[in-house]
Amino acid sequence: MNNKTLAYILAILTILALVAFVVMRQVDGFSIQSFSPYRRLITTGIKNTIILSVVSLLGSLVLGFVFYLFSISKVKYLNAITDVFTEIIYGTPLLVLVVITAFLIGPAFGTFNRNAMGYLALIMYMTPYMKNVYQSAFSSISRDQYMTMDLFGFTPYQRYRYIIISQVIRILMPPMMNNFSLIIKGSALLNVLSYNEIYYAVRVAQSQTFAFVEGYILMWGLYLIITIPLSQLTKWIERKWAL
Amino acid sequence: MKIELVGVKHTYDVEVLKDLNLILDGYHSVAIIGVSGSGKSTLIRLMSGLEKPTNGLIRVNSFHVDSEDYRKKIGFVFQNHNLFPHLTLKKNISLILEKTRGIEKAEAESIALKYLAMLHLEDQVNKLPKNVSGGQAQRASIARALSVNPDIIFLDEPTSSLDPILTHEVLTAVEELKGLGKDFIFVTHVMSFVRDFADYVIFMDQGEIVEMGDPSILDHPKSDALKAFISKVR
Repeated sequence: MNNKTLAYILAILTILALVAFVVMRQVDGFSIQSFSPYRRLITTGIKNTIILSVVSLLGSLVLGFVFYLFSISKVKYLNAITDVFTEIIYGTPLLVLVVITAFLIGPAFGTFNRNAMGYLALIMYMTPYMKNVYQSAFSSISRDQYMTMDLFGFTPYQRYRYIIISQVIRILMPPMMNNFSLIIKGSALLNVLSYNEIYYAVRVAQSQTFAFVEGYILMWGLYLIITIPLSQLTKWIERKWAL
Repeated sequence: MKIELVGVKHTYDVEVLKDLNLILDGYHSVAIIGVSGSGKSTLIRLMSGLEKPTNGLIRVNSFHVDSEDYRKKIGFVFQNHNLFPHLTLKKNISLILEKTRGIEKAEAESIALKYLAMLHLEDQVNKLPKNVSGGQAQRASIARALSVNPDIIFLDEPTSSLDPILTHEVLTAVEELKGLGKDFIFVTHVMSFVRDFADYVIFMDQGEIVEMGDPSILDHPKSDALKAFISKVR
């Protein structure tokens, strides 16, 4: 076992010791098992959180790329639209955006599907952050490389497919993972639309078991179960694609 | 080859080329020399079509240099090798042949190997650019320029980032290419290479062509600028 593994084991043990300490100091016992009758509701919540997060990730990856292209476009209007949109999103709490998208923007365009609008809100919210990820990653490709691609006559598709993406994926992954965990955590706010994701499901169960604190502990565990394997996966992809 | 410059001006923030006019015909290896900032690198980029002049017209072998047909007939070697860092030396060449020239993969690879061997890199073909020396990377870049079978090869200070030993290694490799029947246009500070390899020399100073002629102008400079330049680089 090398030093690094040992350090990680120690770090995890430290956190577990802290958790054990906090648990033992509690006067009342825990009754997580009181949630077991609601297993199906909560499982659906987990499934929906994952679906919502993956769809939002893919949506914001695509829209973020479009906005990245806008931001480097020679058309000034497109640059301006990107800037204005980014500023507005930066200053908007996700909760506000979800409510406005579902209750005002959706109906204005004739859509009363609140869940779909909730998805859209999350996608819009993440778009500027994804745009930034692309910006920093693509700026790592030197001007000389673009000149070389010009010289040999690469098409735009060939540039991205063979030269740019394979180099930037390594730089792209860590901030992308950051954004993905923002999405997963942000998805909890769709409970205001009564969308059955983890937060909503556990809250419903809580209202019947009255196990208030336990519900939050359960929620915490469920989010960690999703995010930790994901970040490990990201690290693996990074290593696999490293130069 | 035939080179025509008509009223060529170029401006970045300041005017870097001031109204160049030139017709050259029948030379095969043209050197452009001058101090840093004299406009020589700009001129070679314009002649290769990598950049467009602010004003004026450039034709090489009767092609407008911004035409697609012209671009297919040239190779360019940059100051820094500009190899794609994530591809092996072989792949740096074969990918271009495969994707931009529509050559079958197997053939593209055999062409890549042929030119890498010509530049004495047969043992390095599967290495990434970061794992070979600067001189080897620059030679791979020359192999890449040759691989598209160009009529003219441009070299823009190909040894400026190399130490004297690697410089010698790269320039010797270029000299060996003389028999290929290609034309060369190059910028360099290495005067011994100019004397050995060039059949025509253009000396630039402050955005203008001050002297030009066969390499003997280096031994009998007329202008003060060339005299000063020769005395410093010799």
